[in-house]
Amino acid sequence: MAGPVLRLPHIRLRTVLVHLAAWGIGVAWLIPFLGVAVVAFRPLGEVALGWWNLSPFNPTLANFAGAWGNSDCPLSMGIRNSLLVAVPSTFIPLMVGAFAGYGFARYRFPGRDYVFLSVVLLMAVPQQMVAVPIFKLMLSVGLLNQFLGLILLHSAWGIPWIVLFMRNFYRTLPVEIEEAARVDGASEFKTFYRIVLPMALPAFAAVVVLQFMWVWNDFFFAKIMLQSTDRAVATLCVTQLSGQFTRPWDLLSAAAILTLLVPVGLYIVLQRYYIRGMIGWTIKG
Amino acid sequence: MGAPNRARSGPALSFRRLAERSTFFMPAAILLLLLVFYPIATTIILSFFSGSSFVGLGNYGAILQDPATLNPNGLSGGPPYGTLVNNLLWIVIHLPLSLFTGLVLAVLLQRVRGASIIKSFIFLGMVTPLIVIGVLLGFTIEAPVGFVPAFFGSIGLPSLDVNWIAHPTTLLFGLILGSVWSWTGFSTIIYSAGLTTIPKDYFEAARVDGASEWHIFTRITWPLLRPVTLVIVTMSLLWELKLFDIILGATNAGGGVGGAADVLALQMYRYAFVALPPEANKAAAVACMLLLFTTLVAGFLFRRLLTGDAPKPRAARRLATSTRAGE
Amino acid sequence: MIKLIIAIVAVLVVSNVVTGLAVYYASLPPVSGAKVVTVVGPWAGNEKDAFLPVMDQFARTTGISYTFTTTRQEDLQTSLPNQFAAGQSPADLIFMPSAFIKTYAGQGYVTSLTGTIGPSTYKPGALDQVTANSAIWGGAYTGKVKPGFWYRVSFFQAHGLTPPTTWSQFTTLLASLKGITGVKNPIISGDGVGWPLSDVTEHFIATYGGASMHQALTAKTLKWTDTSVHDLFATYLVPTLQAGDWSEPITWDSPGVNLFWNGTYPLYFMGSWITGMVSDPSDLGVFSLPGGVANQGIVFAADYFFVPKFAAHPVEAKRLAAFFASAAAQTTQVRQGGHIATAAGVSITAYPSVDARVAGLLTGKTVLPDLDDTIGGTFQTTFWSQLQLLWSDPTKLDSVLSTIQAAT
Repeated sequence: MAGPVLRLPHIRLRTVLVHLAAWGIGVAWLIPFLGVAVVAFRPLGEVALGWWNLSPFNPTLANFAGAWGNSDCPLSMGIRNSLLVAVPSTFIPLMVGAFAGYGFARYRFPGRDYVFLSVVLLMAVPQQMVAVPIFKLMLSVGLLNQFLGLILLHSAWGIPWIVLFMRNFYRTLPVEIEEAARVDGASEFKTFYRIVLPMALPAFAAVVVLQFMWVWNDFFFAKIMLQSTDRAVATLCVTQLSGQFTRPWDLLSAAAILTLLVPVGLYIVLQRYYIRGMIGWTIKG
Repeated sequence: MGAPNRARSGPALSFRRLAERSTFFMPAAILLLLLVFYPIATTIILSFFSGSSFVGLGNYGAILQDPATLNPNGLSGGPPYGTLVNNLLWIVIHLPLSLFTGLVLAVLLQRVRGASIIKSFIFLGMVTPLIVIGVLLGFTIEAPVGFVPAFFGSIGLPSLDVNWIAHPTTLLFGLILGSVWSWTGFSTIIYSAGLTTIPKDYFEAARVDGASEWHIFTRITWPLLRPVTLVIVTMSLLWELKLFDIILGATNAGGGVGGAADVLALQMYRYAFVALPPEANKAAAVACMLLLFTTLVAGFLFRRLLTGDAPKPRAARRLATSTRAGE
Repeated sequence: MIKLIIAIVAVLVVSNVVTGLAVYYASLPPVSGAKVVTVVGPWAGNEKDAFLPVMDQFARTTGISYTFTTTRQEDLQTSLPNQFAAGQSPADLIFMPSAFIKTYAGQGYVTSLTGTIGPSTYKPGALDQVTANSAIWGGAYTGKVKPGFWYRVSFFQAHGLTPPTTWSQFTTLLASLKGITGVKNPIISGDGVGWPLSDVTEHFIATYGGASMHQALTAKTLKWTDTSVHDLFATYLVPTLQAGDWSEPITWDSPGVNLFWNGTYPLYFMGSWITGMVSDPSDLGVFSLPGGVANQGIVFAADYFFVPKFAAHPVEAKRLAAFFASAAAQTTQVRQGGHIATAAGVSITAYPSVDARVAGLLTGKTVLPDLDDTIGGTFQTTFWSQLQLLWSDPTKLDSVLSTIQAAT
């Protein structure tokens, strides 16, 4: 009886300390974002010597209005363009990758593992490796400075990880039902969309969240593919506001917040799928 | 009876099934061949040419001799060190720091109320576009707008109360630490997930035996997390090698003061898209060097992923090799 | 199976058609009359608003309608060469730095403007940067002057200071500024992406090396590692950097301009556009670096334009080029403030008063093009980042100069 009584205060102190440390770190982690948020809501004159100087303090939405309706690169347009690019760039590779992943999971053919490995290895390829030829290819077929060109590029680029992710997912599904369907004479496609597809929906959700965020957050491909200002996606707008010559921190902060609202919002709503996708992609489905 | 059965399950598939099965791969194959494999092959070929004449490894030699890649004065005089060294520095500093911080946080957060909220805070840096992270880091370490110099000034370290953007050493290490801040969300989340896979009775049994927390960590947690660690290490290495947006967002196309924060990916971008006229061949050579490194790194992890399941990496690798040899 | 293939094809087609249509409608040119000319320039925001009246004037007088698209020059530098190689051009008339125009004129992608515009309607030397092989490949529009160090007249009066006329007076001025309470450093080093440091460095070169040294460095006939260049840096710039006369590099517009205006850093080397960035431009005084050699230069960075070979409307484009070269067009532009004309015959009364003063500073000095804009490419990136390095550590002068030289 003496043991627990003696240990109780010890545990409490320890728990308190652990909580203090954890929450302290968590909040400290937010400071850079906090700084940007504070700058975004205040006139530049007040924060130019440090956003933590709170007098005078005149909160305003002017910076958001300035970024949203900016004449260099309005974020209203940037976010619309980002959506126009990101939505098809999510669903095309999802479909394409879901099929190919199934093929790699279930079909045997000579050299399959080597083909699969070479596809998966593409995840390691830096974007810079394809930049120049892609640029010339897109130019020659008239898809440079077109959303369609960027969409196709993102779609191709998303396939490797989606194939890996979906293939690992399919392999966790029991193969017997599919076999039974085949024995009953169902075609491969019928087997796939009657039996496999319904079970794969949670995995699809994970793919959608991750791929959408990946495309939304991309900067390099958009930078080389989209030249004219009226095609700029949100991430491009962030740098175009900073201009060739200036760094207007007030507009930049507001633009940064507007740009990250979509992926952060998506993360908050679909956190479960995001984490599951992230872990499945890296550890195992 | 016998014939259709063979057609379905045996190696000799009916033409119809074969056609159906190839259709599963077709769209992916077209997209990948056209927009990934073809450009990669073109870039590799480009890297061996200068204009239209074959120069072998000439472009690679020229790049390695460029002080922007390897700065001989950097060894004695401090940064700028050159892109190759910078990418390496990123690995040497960023990798252990983000790994360690993520592990400590994951272990710490195991027994904390509201851990998922704290994790979300930390994970914010992973969800935010990297170009925004770059702008944000530049903003955070620049004086007088940023809080990092002011913070060091207020705790009595005037040598760090400078404009971090304007000096090579502070810029380089400021951005490395900043990228640790942004990337730690990844290792925290993956380690947290890894911890949940360790059966609770392992810990309980150890505690009953009177093992210290340190003992439990070194004898149980750390060894069982090894496969997870391998994944994080690989992904972090790839991330550190591909670094681009953060540097461009925080500085400029030159990699900041004296090119102190310059990296390979940015160097490639300059050759291809800033140089007048463009130097596509040198750009290709830089890209190929980068590809060589990332492929080496990825080779380790992906071979394991191919075999599917392998909690113990070394045994799995042996297994994978023997299986493949047997085929 | 058929159903599924149809479904896949349908989704692919629908998603692509939707995007394609969106793109198509977004890129449709406005319905207009027969004659049209398309222009691409770097200006956005206020600068664009100040430029469009010139385009309107052109449309009114010629009946040719126009479209103007904003695209950053660094993005155009990527896309244009490839579009030219494919026989395309995004516009009929494009504003780009002279280095770009000259480079691609040499590859046959630029229409000669000889006969359309000529030096006779310009100030002397205005077309030098776009003339090659005795042909004119581009035109000069208006530009901006980088005259010297700005100060607040009221601040100088309050502390009994006067603009210097010799180098030793300049160093004395810096010393006395350091003694004033509230002054952190005498001169603010504007920064951001790197260019304000290059502007002030060019001013040192044009003053103490003269116009000829500036021109020789621009033409790459003089090496940055040459003793004369090295000595200039070592004699004038480096000692002031080491003496703490310069602030740490600070983002040039905000907070830079504010810290200059409130006296934390009382001297600011900046282009003429600073007059539009302070609350009371009439309180601004400006002096160029004092002393120096006989034939000094002053940097005047003009905007240049050209007509690409693959322009869809070459006739209209040439008419527009001739118009941009005219005093009429440039008068309209300088009236908006912040710009100085390259065309001859623009009346001094057309300028807002501050700009008129700046335009006056040009007299008696050789007009020089901006050095790093003229060379362009990766030289510019290197030049900027190496000067940032020099500001951070002036003892690295030798390696800074040799790295800059290696990038030429």
